[in-house]
Formats: sequence, structure tokens, C-alpha cells
Amino acid sequence: MRNFSYYLRLSLHNIKRAPLPYALTLVILSIGLGVFFSNATLYYWMNRDPLPEQSHTLFFPRINAVEQACDSCLTPLRVLSYKDVQKLSNSAIPSAQAGMFQSGGYARLPNTQNGPTPVSIRVTQRDFFELFNAPFLHGQTWADNDARMELILHYNAALKFFGRTDVLGQQLLLDGELYTIVGVLDNWQMLPKLYDVNNGLAITPVEEIYLPWETAYNLGIKSNSTTQSRDSRNYNENFAVNGREGEFYQAQFWVKLDTPAQQDAYRQFMDNLVASEKEAGRHPRPNGNLLHNMLDIAEAFNERNRQLDAFAVVSVLFLLVCLFNASHLSLNRYMASQFEFSLRRALGASRLQLQGQLLTDVLVNGVLAFVLALLFAVLMLLLINQLLPATSALNNWQPGLILLMFGVALLASYLVTLYPAWRASYSPLNQQLKA
Amino acid sequence: MSFTLLIRSLLRRKVITALLLVQLALTLALIANSAVLAWQARQLANQPTGLTLSNLLRVPMKPTLPELRSQPVLGDLMARQLSAIRAVPGVVSASWMNQTPLLFGGMNGNIFVIDKQDTTNIGMVPYQLGSVSMRETLDLTLLQGRWLEETDVDTEVIVISEQLAKQLFADGDVLGQHTSAGRVIGVVSDMLTQRYADHQNYAIYLPWNMPSADYGYQLVVKTAPGQLDRVREQLPAVLKAVELEVDIGTLQSFAELHRTLFRSETGLATLLAVLSGLMLLVAMISAYSHALFHGVQQQKEIGIKRALGASRPRIMLEVLSESWLTTLTGASVGIVLALALQQQLAKVLSMPALPWSLLLVSLLLLLLCVSIATWYPARLATRVSPATATKTL
Amino acid sequence: MIHITQLNKVFRTELIETQALHNINLSVAEGEFVALTGPSGSGKSTLLNILGTLESYDSGDYQLDGQSVTGMTDSALSALRNEKIGFIFQSFNLIKDFSIYDNIELPLRYRGFSAAERKQRVEQALERVGLAGRRSYLPGQLSGGQQQRVAIARALAGSPRILLADEPTGNLDSLMARQVMELLEQLNREGCTILMVTHDPEQARRAGRHVQIVDGMLSDATVYQPLVAQAVNQ
Repeated sequence: MRNFSYYLRLSLHNIKRAPLPYALTLVILSIGLGVFFSNATLYYWMNRDPLPEQSHTLFFPRINAVEQACDSCLTPLRVLSYKDVQKLSNSAIPSAQAGMFQSGGYARLPNTQNGPTPVSIRVTQRDFFELFNAPFLHGQTWADNDARMELILHYNAALKFFGRTDVLGQQLLLDGELYTIVGVLDNWQMLPKLYDVNNGLAITPVEEIYLPWETAYNLGIKSNSTTQSRDSRNYNENFAVNGREGEFYQAQFWVKLDTPAQQDAYRQFMDNLVASEKEAGRHPRPNGNLLHNMLDIAEAFNERNRQLDAFAVVSVLFLLVCLFNASHLSLNRYMASQFEFSLRRALGASRLQLQGQLLTDVLVNGVLAFVLALLFAVLMLLLINQLLPATSALNNWQPGLILLMFGVALLASYLVTLYPAWRASYSPLNQQLKA
Repeated sequence: MSFTLLIRSLLRRKVITALLLVQLALTLALIANSAVLAWQARQLANQPTGLTLSNLLRVPMKPTLPELRSQPVLGDLMARQLSAIRAVPGVVSASWMNQTPLLFGGMNGNIFVIDKQDTTNIGMVPYQLGSVSMRETLDLTLLQGRWLEETDVDTEVIVISEQLAKQLFADGDVLGQHTSAGRVIGVVSDMLTQRYADHQNYAIYLPWNMPSADYGYQLVVKTAPGQLDRVREQLPAVLKAVELEVDIGTLQSFAELHRTLFRSETGLATLLAVLSGLMLLVAMISAYSHALFHGVQQQKEIGIKRALGASRPRIMLEVLSESWLTTLTGASVGIVLALALQQQLAKVLSMPALPWSLLLVSLLLLLLCVSIATWYPARLATRVSPATATKTL
Repeated sequence: MIHITQLNKVFRTELIETQALHNINLSVAEGEFVALTGPSGSGKSTLLNILGTLESYDSGDYQLDGQSVTGMTDSALSALRNEKIGFIFQSFNLIKDFSIYDNIELPLRYRGFSAAERKQRVEQALERVGLAGRRSYLPGQLSGGQQQRVAIARALAGSPRILLADEPTGNLDSLMARQVMELLEQLNREGCTILMVTHDPEQARRAGRHVQIVDGMLSDATVYQPLVAQAVNQ
């Protein structure tokens, strides 16, 4: 410990002795780290696993069920129809399953003069909350998947409309229909929102109001993102029938398959389903069954943020340049003090002691570079959010992330100090003193 | 100093020189690639839209009650809103539309020439519904046939954009031809409808009533030049006075819409430009400190050279040319690296090849920056007193 | 060859002024071998530096080869130095990363000689100092005496009008010192003008003329006439 404080003082003394070269080294190192951190933050949020405990069991099945013959159409649509969801739901293999889509509407409290408030809605089925681990604060999910005038609110929506969360049994007017609240979710978020990647909604907040699937079809509530109709029905009329029977594609469907055996069984189920549909003449397109795991879903729907990917490549290169540079500068710095190094070794300092000094240098540099790099990363993130607004939800720092960044800063500082120090401490003694 | 001596002097400091080379190479690679991305973003943003961006205003609307979203109530509501807007001073023309040009999303469908589906089918073409006044509002030029009239409403006739007509009929007759979307009665000039449709200038104009407002609808307003901001301020109140149960979204000028259209490209290009700037800065710091440190190390050598008759400009040139040689070597490696980086980036982005002229310009830029950064240390080197430097300790 | 009149040099710091050289008058004729001696701090190095145009002076005049140095630009001085003066330093001052050949060639490059001429002159100079076989060695691979001979070759290669030697044997043992001195004497016999700073009285005595400097003032020169006469006669 005594040694450490001595090393620390010496370290600071060396900085003070040649502040400009040191400052330049530090600036370069922190610019590189700052750019890297800012990108790593975005990249982390974009690519993290939002449900590490069960993401590997969540799957998105797709069947090529469009009823127009097309031999070259090998890939199923990105969205499913009511009929698709119904057919796929006829399996007991998944431990949970739900069809769903995002919609929007206007909600207000009954018996008040308040104007309508726009809200985001997720139309879904009872297993949704189990699939994505959405925790209930009050109440619970619907008893079954039948139509019912019952809503589940997100924590934020409960506060927005009622100013409190314990609102079970209260009523809410949504697009002119009166619903009873049967559940309130805790303050829950899922980032990235992988259940709705196929509409490019991965970095939007989870919905405020959850509405039963069958109710939405009864009332003609449709998705406000991607919808496709593949026949000539008029979906503006009698949606309760047309929406259910027609080729109106708008939904996601997720199943929970806990074991590889279940996953195989489910694939088999999909194959059997398609085979029997073909027999019945309802599946004219080629078999194109797909079962995407949740972690592959962004890639499967080609919804990765390409700009961010490109920036990632470049920022890693940039960090490399800065590391090269800083180590070059620091080499200069150490070479300048090489004489002193040799002198101290001549005076009996062992290599080990010198290395202790060097490691202290590494620590001091690492801490300083880390702090500066964080400052720089904040600036970079502000700039990136400004330039690519789609990334503005991604700039949170968690303690774990910060710790990781600190580790990277230390490692960078170590790399930058290692070679130069090695050069300085291992150069032949007499050669230095003689010169 | 001769080339061989220069090289020898660089080879003496292998590691430092290698570090310098690597970072110069990476810098050049990044500069060249961000420049080409910036150039591409500019090209995209500067392409003609066929629209008078500065005079057009978009008002997104959605009734908050389901009964207001379907016909015939909806048609009546839109008519009342439009006549209120047209009464606002500064408004030249106003139309309802199911979707706004420039924006992603909306109603898209396929179209083909009847009996030629196999050869003419186009998968994703914007179906543009709107008032008959739409042509006036958007300033579309009629190229063939006639535009839609009130009597066409809800009949099976369509007007198509020039680009779509070319694709569907090549050089053949267009007017009177039957397509899956209706009989073509006219062709209008192109505008930038939807960037991600099969072609960004495809459009079908249909004389249909808005079937429902489940997804909302748009009011598009053309103002007299310079009147846009005044009109924008007044519209919310005017529309509220017509009907309270309609949610009025954010009013945006078409110029604003156009800026957001290429935001991811311009954003990335700007970001990379900032990064290139930082990288140049880092290269300059590096060149500066390298020359400075090197100068100090070589004081004695420089002193000897001065004593042997090297003039100050000559010493300066020596220090600079060492910098130049390093930069040029690094930059040539950088050119290879730039091409490799371009290939990597092209995997994730659509991106044109690097023109040689750009590589040359990047190289010159790098050379200039390094020269500026080396200038001061080089001047310091020339100040070395030969009398002192040649003295023994 | 060298003609100095009323030369003064003052060193100024914030606190004090030191008169380094005081009204120096000195002439060196073509073919002379002049030894300059004096105690430490007497100003002999300053005088040598001024003679070598490495340092400026405050007043007086210095004519080198009939040309006044006063008021010349740095570039003109560099060119003058390169063409007319050959330096031999106590610490040799060879560039350690250049080969013997490159070291000797360096001033010729500054002169702008063609590659062929440079090669011829370097070979000649190497021949003269007896190191022709070592042209591709690095200075570090040679003994001190050999290094000084390389330095002499470098000074000679440009055919200067005068050799300025600053304690050329100061870093050498006696055997090597004698070899270097013999080389200088031989060069002098061949017509080379030499001005040498030394504090070895023996060497000073062997020079054709002995000039002493004390406290920045030149004392009467001790002239060994016979030697000069001999030199001139040759």
C-alpha cells in the first residue's frame, strides 16, 4: 500500500513534468473510447436479449398460406391472417401462444368532459403476458381468448387516466366503446421490443392498453402498422366476418416451446398442418414453413439498423487508430524518460518494481481516460440521437454497462502503456547510460 | 535528403513508423468512405421530387370516434374541413388524400395490364386517393389524356404517373388501356411518392371516396409563396372549429417531410464526417507529436547537418519530407484499406464504388493536414543551434 | 584566408552581460596551420564557432576567403560553410545511423554535386584517410581514431578552403591521437589551411603558429617561423 501511494505520486509527478504529451495521449485515447462507448451503448440496446430467461423458447411460426397460387412465392408474408393464427393455435404443443398486433385509438374516462387522449393499443390473447414476462401489479390476464369488453392497462396508462394504479373494475371509453379494467401491469418495458420487429417497432415503448383479440375483430379494430389484403373483400365493412374469413394479414403470432423436443414436434405440427391444408386445396403456394427464434427475428425480417451496423464497423476501426496513436505517443513519452528508467534500474530498482510503477500508470491513465471518454460519449450520443432520431431510445447506461466500459478503458490503457513500457524497462542498461 | 536515406531513417524506427502507417491508412480509408457516403446522401437529397416543397403543408387527421370514420359521415366531414381551409387567406388549394407523397407507408397495391399479368405485374405501387383538386394542389402536369373529374368518382378510371406508364406500356398506347386498377384516362408528371415502393415515382391516382378513416387521412394544403407559416399557425383553430372530435396531428411542410425522408442517410454521412474530422485531428496530433519528439531526439544530428552546410529551409524540408513519405506510404496502404472497408460497408448499406479521384483528394487532404501539423515542429528543428548541438557533453 | 578585425561578442542574459570576445584581430594566411589554445571559458570555442559561421558576432568584421561574412543571410552562410569550411569535432559528430560512405557524402549532397562527382570525391577522401575498405561500416563499428579519420574525410571531401578542428584528439588515446595529428600535418603539408583548437601544448608547438586566447582577448601570437616557412616553401 505504501508502495502504491509512492507509485501514485510518482505517476502524477511524471504527468506534471510533461503535461502536453500526456494530455495529447489522454485526449486521443478518450476520443477513441468515447466514440466506441457511444456506439457500443446503441449497439448493446439494439442487440441485447430483452428476455434472457426465456428468449430461447419463444418462436414466431410462419406458413405460406396465401390463397393465390404462385409457384415462385417461397417466403411467407411478414404478417399473419386471422385464419393463420386460428390454424396455428390448434396445437397443444406450445406452453403459451398468442396472436397480436399493434393498433391505436382514443381513450377517455366515461362521464367526463375531458377530450380524447391518443393511446397505443396491443390487441392480443391471454398468454401474451406469460410469453413476454409482463408482470401484473393488479388483477390478471383474461380468463380465456373469447371476446370480452375488458382491458388491461400498462402502469403508465393507469397513472395517465386515473392518477393511481389500483383501478380494477374501473371503466374506460376507448374509441367510443366502454370497457372494464381487469388488470394493471407493472411498469414494464421490453427493449428491443422483439415481438413486433416485423413492423420496425423494435425500439418503441410497449403499448399502453391491451385489448382482447376477438373483441378487436368484432369491433373492426385493425393494425395501425402493416396490413395486407390479398382478396377483393371490402374490409371497411363487416370486419367481424370479413376480417376473420378473408385474406387480411396484419398479425404476429408467438409460441413458447420450452424444449428442443417441443420445437421439433411443433415443426412437425406445422408440416402436418400445411399437408392437410394442401389436401383440402387451401394451400396453393409451395411449402415455406419457418419457425424463427426470437433472437433471430430482426435478421429474419431484415430489420437490423444498417446505419448503426456501419457505424459500428467504423467506430471499432476508429478505436484501433486511437489505440495505435496513443501507444505511439506514449512510446515517445516513455522513450523520453528512458534515461531515468535506466538510471533507476542502475540504482537497484528491480524490473518488478518498475512494473509496479507502470501498472500504477496504467490505472491512473485508465481512470482519467474513462472519465473523459464518458463525457465524450455523452456528447457523441447526443449528436447521434440528433442525426439518427431512431436511436434516441437507446442511450441508457446501466451500472453493468458502465462497469464493462470501465473495463474496456483499463484494458485500452494497459495496451497503450504495455509496449512502450516494455521497451523502456527492458532496453539494455549500459546502452542507455553510456549514450 | 535522398529517398534512400529517408527510407533508412524510417526503417530505423520500425515500430513507431508502422504504428504511424497503420493509423494513416485507417484514416484515409475512413475519410474516403465517409466522403462517398456523404456524396451519395447529397445525391439522394438533391434528386428532383416533382413537388413545390416550400408551398405545401400536410395536416394528418384522424377522427377520435368510430362513427366519424366511415362514409358518408366522413365525406361530409372532409368537405366541411376543406371549405374552411380554402377560406383561409393565403391558401391556394386544398385536398384530402389517403396518403402524403414523400412519406413511407399508406396504401400500396399491385397493378398489371389486363390479360398481360405475367409480363406487366408490378407488386408495390402507391394507390393515391384524393379530391379531384389533388392535381392542382400538387401541381401535377397533365401529359396525356385528361385528369379526374367529379363525375368519375367511384368509377373504374385511373390516372397514372409517367414512370408507371412507361413501365406498364413501354412506348405503346396508354389512354384507354385496361389495368387491374382501372381504365387509364390520363398520364401526369412524376413526383416522389414512396421511396420504398418498386419505383419511387410510381403512382396511381384514383377517383374513389375515402372508404374509411381507420388509418386517418391527410389534408394537403398549397399556400401562396411565403404564406406557409401563417397558414400553418391558423389551421389548427380553423379545423377545431369545424369538428372537435378529430385528432389533428403535427403539421409539417413538405420541405420538412423531404428532410426526414433521407435522414438516416444524411445522418450517417454527417456522423461519419464528424468521425473523419476526429480522425484527422488524431492524425494531426500524432504527426505533430511525432515530429516534435523526433526533432528533440535528433537535435544533435540536425546540428551536425547545419554545421555541414544544410540551410534552414533544407532542414525543414527534410523533416517535412519524412512526414510526407510516411503519409504517402500510409495513404497507399490506406487506399487498399479504403477499398476493403467499402466492400464491408457495402454489405450492410447500399453504397457506390469509390472513385479514384476521391481517393486522390483524400490523400491530398491527409497530406495537407499532416504538413500543417508538422510545420511547427519542423520550424523548431531548424532553430537548433549547430554550435550547441555539435558540442560534446 | 581569414581576416578578423575588431571582433566583439557579448553574451547577454537577464542579469549579466559577459564579454566573450574583446576586440579580436586575427589573420590566417593560406596554407597556415594555426593552433588556438586557452583555458576553459576563455572564449576559444566561441571564436571557433564564429570562424565556422555557426555563431554570430556583435561588432567588427570577419572576412573569409576575401568575402565579408557580416550581414549574410542564414542560407548564404550555410552555403558558405558547406563550400569553404571543413569541420572536425572533438566528438566526431558522425551520424550514427549512416554508413561511413553516407556520412562523407552528406555535405556533398547539400552542395548539389552530381551522384558521379559525389562518388568520386567520397572515394578520394576515403583513400586519403586510409579507410577505403570500410565505406559500408557504421560509425559504431569503428575505433575512435578511425571515426575521427572519417570525420576528417567528410571535412575534406568538399575541398574546403580551411579546416576548423575543435580538439580533434580530445577523445582519443595517445596512439590514435598521434595518428590523427600526423594526418592533419600531412594535409597541411599538402596545402590545407588548418585552424585547430587544442589544450595540448605539444600539439600547439607542432602547429605552424600558436595563438592564445585569455578572457576573450587574443594574446600575441607565438610564431614558429621555421615551420611556417617550411610549409609555405612546400
